Amino acid sequence: MGGLPVYLDNAATTAVDPRVASAMAECLTADGTYGNPSSSHAYGREAARRVEMARLEVAAIIGAEPGCIVFTSGATEAANLALLGTARANADRRKHLVSSRTEHRATLDPIRQLEKEGFAVTWLTPDSDGRIAPDAVRAALRPDTLYASIMHVNNETGVVQDIAAIGRACREAGVLYHCDLAQGIGKLPTADVARHVDFGSFTAHKIHGPKGVGALYVAGQARPWLRPILHGGGQERGLRSGTVATHQVVGFGRACAIALAEGARDGARMRELRAALWSALASLPEVLLNSPLDDGSPAILNVSFPGVEGESLVTGLADLAVSTGSACNSASGEPSYVLRALGRDTGLAQASLRFSLGRLTTMLDIERASEAVRREVTRLRAVAP
Amino acid sequence: MNAADPLSPFTRASFASLARAGCFADPDGVASGEAGSRESGTHVRFHLRLAGQTVAEARFQAYGCPHTLAVANWLAGEVAGRRREALVPGTPADWAARFEVPVAKLGRLLVIEDALRACLEAWPKAVQ
Repeated sequence: MGGLPVYLDNAATTAVDPRVASAMAECLTADGTYGNPSSSHAYGREAARRVEMARLEVAAIIGAEPGCIVFTSGATEAANLALLGTARANADRRKHLVSSRTEHRATLDPIRQLEKEGFAVTWLTPDSDGRIAPDAVRAALRPDTLYASIMHVNNETGVVQDIAAIGRACREAGVLYHCDLAQGIGKLPTADVARHVDFGSFTAHKIHGPKGVGALYVAGQARPWLRPILHGGGQERGLRSGTVATHQVVGFGRACAIALAEGARDGARMRELRAALWSALASLPEVLLNSPLDDGSPAILNVSFPGVEGESLVTGLADLAVSTGSACNSASGEPSYVLRALGRDTGLAQASLRFSLGRLTTMLDIERASEAVRREVTRLRAVAP
Repeated sequence: MNAADPLSPFTRASFASLARAGCFADPDGVASGEAGSRESGTHVRFHLRLAGQTVAEARFQAYGCPHTLAVANWLAGEVAGRRREALVPGTPADWAARFEVPVAKLGRLLVIEDALRACLEAWPKAVQ
């Protein structure tokens, strides 16, 4: 392999920004802020101060009050806290939930678990363009609906949902709204998101922060509905027990501050790069676009290549790090349930690539990637009967 | 970066080259056979240029996973020089061992074998 593969898998995770790494390093060693933020001595107080500074930075990225941010180990835990914690606390009041078939598994799996526990779930199917119509959400709400959970930006296609309208529909019906915010932050304007949702789960490692830390936004009016799912020291106002990892949280805060300051510029640049990538790929015969170009996430481009077997395509692209439409590369790899829900057949879903851009993506990366894909798709199509 | 390749070096080399992919421009004297379908995920076709009862040269076309393509490419080389009664070199189990094919994919090798055997049916007509 000549040099590192081109990395276009930023929707999976991103490299930590050196500015973030530097801030984190200040909280690890004996000459830094390594104290337990719950301790009352000077070390602890300094750690707590840095945690609260970080909370301000994390809150700002979605326009929230700092006191509404609960630090977790990541978006998956944040979603589980919101979805399981709310449902189990109110199972004797409301036992109906609403979600969509194209959510991330961090949402799907807890809700499926709640189905097993006796909750009724209305699973909404997206339109052919991947969108969940706010009116469809409104129509699904019932007097016994506890919450709806519809994501902001789809992690596979980059489709952006109208969370303002969905939030309005929920609010008017007296239903809580959880939103997976993981893919929108740092790529789209999110400074007013807290106005629209009751719960918002997101993570640091999608925005050049560290893995292992995330947050749940809990709106003030939603707090009484929520009970913790972890029990222990009562940290995070009793909602997430466990010693707060100062270095992780500080890194998260720094990543959010950078995203807030530079996100608009990054987003505009990614949009240009994505357009260039699509332009190069679209010159191949028969390619199908699974992402909205005009109003989708600037960071995600999902493309299907008819006539090409998915595993061979990915195997032939050894110098390119992208995600595929297959859940795994095993012989029995399931095709993407998101693309299947959009009407792509199994073969086509498996012959799809998700290119996801980040702050570090360059035009040279785009040129190398598009050339590699064009070459491999052409080669495999030429071999096929 | 030193991540392990999911393909063995031998399999990777065959998949990377696919040197015997394609078909013959002149169909005279060529016995072709195919098996599988794109819908099932594996579709293989062999073309054997015959010299009497011997394979002079072979080509293949395939839609399938990397192991399918690599094995079909290798077989297209192996059958050259073989006589009709001994056309198939070894068994799918032999190929699986040589190419380190995962157990879950063994069915795909049967499709390859079926495609090669289908050439036998076309053989008499091709040499007329």
